Amino acid sequence: MNRLYISGTDQTPTVDLDKQNNIFSLEGRSLTDDADTFYRPVIEWMNLYLANPNPATCFTFKFDYINTPSSKMVFDILTLLGQIKGASAIWYFREGEEGIREIGEEFSELVQFPFKERPY
Amino acid sequence: MSEEILRALTQLFAIITKQDGGVTENERRFVLNFFQQELDQDSIKEHIELYDKFSGYKEQQGNVQTVLKAPSVRDSIQTLGICKKINKTLTQKQKVIVLIKLLELLGSDNNFTRQRMEIINTVSTVFNISANEYKVIETFVVTTEMSELNFKDILVVNSREERSAPLQKHQRADIDGNLFFLRVPSVDLYFAQYLGEGSPTLNSFVMQHNRIYLFSHGSTIKTPAGTALYYSDLIADFNEEIKTTKLSFNAKIQEYKFRNGAVGLRDVNISEGPGKLIGIMGASGAGKTTLLNVLAGLEPPSKGEILINGYNIHSRSDKVQGVIGYVSQDDLLIEELTVYQNLYYNAKLCFASSTEDEIHKRVLSVLSNLGLDQRKDLKVGGVLNKLISGGQRKRLNIALELIREPAVLFLDEPTSGLSSRDSENVVDLLKELSLKGKLIFVVIHQPSSDIYKMFDKMIIMDTGGFPTYYGTPVEAVSYFKRATHQVDSNRGQCETCGNVNPEQIFNIIEAKVVDEYGQPTGKRKVTPMQWFEMYKEKFNPPTQPDEKEDPPQSLSIPSKLKQTIIFTTRDLLSKISNQQYLLINLLEAPLLALLLSFIIKYQSAPGGKDYMFRFNENLPAYLLMSIIVALFMGLTVSAEEIIRDRKILKRESFLNLSWNSYLLSKLTILFMLSAVQTLLFVIIGNLVLEIHGMTFAFWLILFSTSCLANVIGLNISSAFNSAVTVYVLIPLLLIPQMVLSGVLFSFDKLHETISNKEKVPIIADLMASRWAYEAMAVYQFKENAYEDAFYEYEKSASNADYKSAFLSDRLKRKNQFLIENIGVTDDSLRYAMSIGLAQIKKSLVNDSFKSKTTTVDISTLTLDTFDEEKGKEVASYIEEFRKFYQEEYNKQVGLMEKKMAFIENSGFNLNKEKNEQFNESLADLVKNVNTKERITEYRGRLVQLIDPIFQDPSPNHLMDYRTGFFFPAKSVLGMTISTYLFNTIVIWIMSFLLYLMLYYELIRKLVKAASRLNFLAS
Repeated sequence: MNRLYISGTDQTPTVDLDKQNNIFSLEGRSLTDDADTFYRPVIEWMNLYLANPNPATCFTFKFDYINTPSSKMVFDILTLLGQIKGASAIWYFREGEEGIREIGEEFSELVQFPFKERPY
Repeated sequence: MSEEILRALTQLFAIITKQDGGVTENERRFVLNFFQQELDQDSIKEHIELYDKFSGYKEQQGNVQTVLKAPSVRDSIQTLGICKKINKTLTQKQKVIVLIKLLELLGSDNNFTRQRMEIINTVSTVFNISANEYKVIETFVVTTEMSELNFKDILVVNSREERSAPLQKHQRADIDGNLFFLRVPSVDLYFAQYLGEGSPTLNSFVMQHNRIYLFSHGSTIKTPAGTALYYSDLIADFNEEIKTTKLSFNAKIQEYKFRNGAVGLRDVNISEGPGKLIGIMGASGAGKTTLLNVLAGLEPPSKGEILINGYNIHSRSDKVQGVIGYVSQDDLLIEELTVYQNLYYNAKLCFASSTEDEIHKRVLSVLSNLGLDQRKDLKVGGVLNKLISGGQRKRLNIALELIREPAVLFLDEPTSGLSSRDSENVVDLLKELSLKGKLIFVVIHQPSSDIYKMFDKMIIMDTGGFPTYYGTPVEAVSYFKRATHQVDSNRGQCETCGNVNPEQIFNIIEAKVVDEYGQPTGKRKVTPMQWFEMYKEKFNPPTQPDEKEDPPQSLSIPSKLKQTIIFTTRDLLSKISNQQYLLINLLEAPLLALLLSFIIKYQSAPGGKDYMFRFNENLPAYLLMSIIVALFMGLTVSAEEIIRDRKILKRESFLNLSWNSYLLSKLTILFMLSAVQTLLFVIIGNLVLEIHGMTFAFWLILFSTSCLANVIGLNISSAFNSAVTVYVLIPLLLIPQMVLSGVLFSFDKLHETISNKEKVPIIADLMASRWAYEAMAVYQFKENAYEDAFYEYEKSASNADYKSAFLSDRLKRKNQFLIENIGVTDDSLRYAMSIGLAQIKKSLVNDSFKSKTTTVDISTLTLDTFDEEKGKEVASYIEEFRKFYQEEYNKQVGLMEKKMAFIENSGFNLNKEKNEQFNESLADLVKNVNTKERITEYRGRLVQLIDPIFQDPSPNHLMDYRTGFFFPAKSVLGMTISTYLFNTIVIWIMSFLLYLMLYYELIRKLVKAASRLNFLAS
């Protein structure tokens, strides 16, 4: 399976999805209003990955800022992740960024797999 | 609504309203209002507190700042979580309603800010409501400007002449302000909204300004001015299919009389177009089913006509072929087939031009439409061993008709015996179909309120076939209440719950006069006739103009050959899957063969130690038994066939399928089964009894006999209606076959009206058993490996022996009698003499022997020219004749002995061969050795009784096939045909004639005519 790498901008996060090296991460700012278009390749990649996942999948989110449309897409990613056996997620937040931490808390209530919030 | 969902909804309300400016009093009141509709007083308090907590209403009161905080992603995620929860429990319809509620909530204070709308948009995406649909819904709720409502799913009703936007639909009505209707096509829900100053009522409740109402089945909106807008009429406007379907149904039944002369229906006029679901109700015996049957064309009206698109369905049946569908109350499923197979073969019969793949897809789509796709591979099962539920059976029955999409569909009590849930499913389905442009008539009994309201129109019948009501269902209750001057007659339904009680109608119609003690008497307050008078005054059925086009058809019937193949495969599959049937039918023959042959195999060899075929005295009886077995098996296997299919045939009669194809498919299967059964029987029977070299010959005869029995069985099965009658008939058919087989009772010792010493009686010729038995016996005797070598010698010897020993002696005596009575004038004597002379002439003239010494010309002898001289000449002719045949006999016997010796000398054991191949009892039978007289006089002719097996046929004319029993050959059209072949052909000709009877259903018609006569007599 090919690695999906998209470098981040000031509107969109850096995407790194790499099955071989077991890296699944979103990092940066997600402020785009057209979250649908930006996240479509991510969702497609996840759907492919779903068919043949690694024994353990740990997804890391490291957002500086995230807007409403993007949160909907993250929710979709988490929903897909929930279908994978051995899935988990880590939600990083900058120490003191209560907003991001709270969003992580909200998400953690919606998922059935291990979901940790960690400061960095 | 569950606690969990209510909690989720409360949260949703709260999240949305707290955005952009926070909760307003109006919004909070709206939520409160919502709770009041859904909850009891105690719970309202609890939930409104919850709402206040989530929305921050309390904090808002104190500190405005907190509320004006920037919209949070957190709320959005919470929304997602809540919607996800809701997604798991609510149906799509409920979700649409929730969405509309949310929009309405914002509408309560017209506060549609971006942040709020964004959240509602999120809700809509998580609910899987398409963007386009959301747009329409949003516009419908938010906008008050009519020209912006430019969607094809929005209908505006107002008093203007024209629509306000090109796409929107518009109806004109006498109404203040505007009524808006919204269709949500994906879930097939309709909503109504009123903007204006007036106070129209929706189902008798005043519509508030700017509120959104669910516009459900059977709803009615009335304006204070008295205009009524009915659900079905409004819905029809949205429906493209109804608009484009060209269909008119006009029934004018002036009178319908039953066969016994009683009037079943009077003056029923119905006129409808496409897209209507019409209910027929009435007390039992009011003629509901009769009306349905007449409308569907099962029974022609005595006076009147039924027109579909202007074509009379009886006289122009070619034009309406396949247009009508009929689902009777009976179960019309083939029990042994699976749900899928039932539908598949039905589809094959309807769509000849579709490919296999198309049919497969069509079947699957119908099954999934009816919610049967999970059950598709289950066997349907019988009434006793139910494998699918009653509701599923009913739906499958409907599916059988639906799959070919008839434009007009009739259903007789489709909900009887179903749970209320199943009933609702079925009627829901019919409603959906009607919305696709079908016209559907349903006889319905005790419908629930919801079902009752789903109908577009209701026809109510009263005892004696009088129509009493024809109009919208909810109006019916008011009509009857008004007619009997009851209070509250304007309300057709319950004020608080909207329920309609259709039972009320019948309580009013059939209300009894009460006597002075308050006991109801047998007399009705309003007689059917009086109701009918009121009906005639009040109801002028709408006249749907006759469409000019041909009615829509989707049917293409396969060719007759293809039909046969489809019928055969379907039947075969159902038989194969019925293991009991298969097992019994395949085991029956070998078991009977084993039983029969085992019992009659005894130590028959001289000395009583071993079994020897040659001396088995039971063989003749065994042959008869095997024929009876073949007949019996053939009859029993076929006797129920058509009866079982009657109902299915009734349904398929709407397809105009080929009766011939159907019958041929039956025959194909039955003949195959008969072939197997008789083969098994012959193989085992012959094996046990050590009958050699007869397998094919016996099989062919038994098979032919069994096939004939199959056709007889189908005949009676088509003629009678119950299996019991048919099984009672079987002995009546079989016993004559036994009696007149010629084996149990000799043909020359029957009642004088039947008996015949010379030839087989005609009545016996009607019996297959006699032909079969003769064929088998003659064949076994003549063609067995031993007799085959000597038959011709034996035949010549037997002929010569008969002529020299018996015939010449008899002729001599006749001649003497003539000589003694020369010149006598007594009439009776002369008559006897003329017979004697004729006998002499017949015997001698046609014989191959010609005297060389005498000069008399026997062929020219007459009584008048007969004198003593001639008598002497004749006497010496006869003596010569005798001597000639004496020598001939010796010669033939000699030849035979020589041949025997030759065979023996070439190292062959003739005796062993005879023991194995030849049966003495059978030989005795076909040689008729037990007869006392070898020659007898019968009707003035000399008849040889001995050795029929060695005699040649002597036909009197070309068609004279008749001979004595066990003659080796028959003669017809100048040809001599071996008895075996001839008899086989006769059996098949009989089968063919019986098939013609079956094809024209002669027996059925006869039985019907007889029952009619019976009826007249009584």
